[in-house]
Parts: sequence; C-alpha cells; structure tokens
Amino acid sequence: MSTDTLTERYVREVVKRLPADQRDDVADELRATIADTVDAHGGDPAAAEHAVLTDMGDPIRLAARYADRPVALIGPVFYPAYIRLLKLLLSMVLPVVTVLMMTLEFFDGGDIGQVIGAGVGAALSVGAQMIAWLTVVFALVDRAGGRDAYKPTEWTPDDLPELRATDDNRTTVIAAAVWNLVLAGLIVWQHTAPTRLGGLRVEVMHPDLWSGMVWPMLAGLVGMAIVEVLRIAARRWTYGLATAYSAAGLVFALPLAWVLYRREFFNPEFLALFNEEFTVMDEFYTVAAIGVLAVVVAEILRRFMAAHRS
Amino acid sequence: MYRVSSDELIQGQAQELRRGTVVLACLALLETPQYGYALLETLDRAGVTVDGNTLYPLLRRLEKQGLLISEWNTDETRPRKFYRISPEGAEVREGLLREWRDLVAAIARLTEETP
Repeated sequence: MSTDTLTERYVREVVKRLPADQRDDVADELRATIADTVDAHGGDPAAAEHAVLTDMGDPIRLAARYADRPVALIGPVFYPAYIRLLKLLLSMVLPVVTVLMMTLEFFDGGDIGQVIGAGVGAALSVGAQMIAWLTVVFALVDRAGGRDAYKPTEWTPDDLPELRATDDNRTTVIAAAVWNLVLAGLIVWQHTAPTRLGGLRVEVMHPDLWSGMVWPMLAGLVGMAIVEVLRIAARRWTYGLATAYSAAGLVFALPLAWVLYRREFFNPEFLALFNEEFTVMDEFYTVAAIGVLAVVVAEILRRFMAAHRS
Repeated sequence: MYRVSSDELIQGQAQELRRGTVVLACLALLETPQYGYALLETLDRAGVTVDGNTLYPLLRRLEKQGLLISEWNTDETRPRKFYRISPEGAEVREGLLREWRDLVAAIARLTEETP
C-alpha cells in the first residue's frame, strides 16, 4: 500500500487524535472501509477516492465521534456553570479590580490621564485573563472526563432572579462599594503621601490615630464594601447582609464619631496651617460626630427596609 | 422574513426520528456477522439511511458497551472487521423493540383520535 495516498493521509489525520491503543485497529478498519466504498463508487479511482473522503468529512469531527468526544470547547453539561461564572467575574470582580488599579495609580501620583490609562489597561488585560483562564479550565475539565463525574447542582425555580429585584439598584450598590473603597484609600493616602500646604507636607488626620482608632475605621469601610459586593451577588438585601452591613458600618462610624467628638480627628499641624485666619468652631466637632452617626444609621435602616421588602 | 420550506422541516425532523433507530436497526441486522461497508449497504437497501461517518464510530461504541462482538477476518485479500451481536446486545435489542412497538402503537392511537 502506498504511504502517501489521500486515504493514508486522511486515516493518519483521524487516528492521531485517538488514544494510542485504538489507533492501529481504527486505522485498519478505516482503510478497509474506505477501500470498500471507493470500489463500490466505481469510475475513476482517484476521483472516487476524493469523493468518498469528502463524504467522510472533516477528520477532526470523525475522530471526535470515534473517541466519543464533544466537538465543542465547552459541552452542554458545563455550559450553564461556565456562563454564570463568566458573567460574575466580568460584571463584579473586574470592575472592583479596575477601580483598585485606578486608585493605586492615583495614590502613586498619577495624573488623570495615567489613572484612566491604568483603568483601561487593567480592564482589558485582567478581563482577557479572566475569559482565557476560565475557558481553559472549563475546557480541560470537560475533556478530562469531568462530564461523567460532575453532577451539576440541581437547578430549581428558586434560583430564578426576582423580576423586581433584577437590580435597578445595582449601579447604586456598585457606587456605594466604590465610594467606601475610595474613602479607605483617601485615609491611607493622606498618611503615606501627605498634602502639600504652603510648601509643607502635613497629614490631614491626627498621626496618633494610626496607633489606634484608624484601624477599625478602615476595617469598617472595607467590610461595608465587601457586603455591598455580596449584595450584588445575592441580587437583593437579606437580613443577614443587612446585619453584616450594620456591623461593618458601626465599626467604621463609632470610632470616627468618637475621635471627632474628642477633637482628635485632625492633625494639629494641619489645622494650624489651614486655620491661619479663622478657627474651627467647637460646635463643628459635635455636629460632625452626630452627622456621621446619623448618616450611617440611616444607611443601615435603608438596607434593613430593603431586606424587609424583598 | 426567511422561512424554511415545509419539505426542509420534514427532512430535519425525520432525521431526528431516524437517529435513534439506527442502533436498533444495527442490533437487528447483526444477528449474522457483517463488516462496516456491507452493513451500511444493507441498511441503505432496507430504507435506513445513515452516513458512514456516523455508522462506523457507532459500531465501535456499541462494541465498547458490550452490545457487539468484533472479529478480524483475514481470509480475503482485504482484511475486514466483522461485527455481530452479543447476548447482552440481544437483550438490549428486545428492550428497544418493545419500546419501538409501544411508540408505534401510541402514535397510531393519537393519529386515529385526531383524524
């Protein structure tokens, strides 16, 4: 048998995609079958061979049938999980990462152009990585026999997103999460890269706070941001989420109100520079402390009411 | 608006109907051993049209499932792989035949009720 006929080339294309122990057997059978079909076809042998192989179709597809392998990158078993996870990553994790990268660039002293550049760069590269890795992992699992082992969590109608709660409020929630993170970032930033005032670099907040009250404040801000992100995943406020939010909110607000009330919030040096001509009234601190508490309590109540409605 | 002709629709649906019957037809025919291309011809003559690139992998799958037994016949100049039904395959064939008859009866009843 000639080794470079169309048939040989076709057979090799098919069997090289099969497990090694099946190759010879499938190759022998395929050769015989193609020869039989060509004989029956009649006419010019070369033209007949060409026609028969055309009918057999793409070797990749035929090999997939022999190996009982899907001709899809991600088969129907994994598709729902894949698409849900992809949506989650792109719609929730990616924005957070992008904002984080922009914030970092900002604290690094980048101007507005650099900050936007960092955001676009992060969105594109991190987004592409998310899509690529998720797809690779799912395709591998699908091929590694995960299809047979994987029992997808049974879908029930309870999983349906609620019509009313299909997140008209989503943007608000994302904005709230971003705002909390930006606030936390500002607190860190004024400490690590103090403001220039009259050529002097001074911190706005009292430096002593860093050995005390500032930590629960930061933890509270990050905690609130995390709860907001969880809220997007849950698609609505639950009592559990609202409770978690109030815990984080109080961890942030109580120390803040306390240091404001005790007038330990601002750095005296900063105040001295800032207040060359007038002084902060004493009442300001009390009002500010009460204001902080009022805002946070209002936000907490708003979330409990949202949880109650849904 | 693009519309599929009813002929095309019938063809597409008929293909869906036939898909499952190929296994039954193979199990029915392979009481006597046959090789791939001969089986394809026999099926074709019997009115069960199936493409080679569907049938040949199917035969191997049925063999792997234990429904068929294969043997190389090297008596002739061209060695060929012959398939025949296994005892387990015969059992499955009986089960599928029962299903088939039930289906035919059910469709007959339905089409009688709505003339």
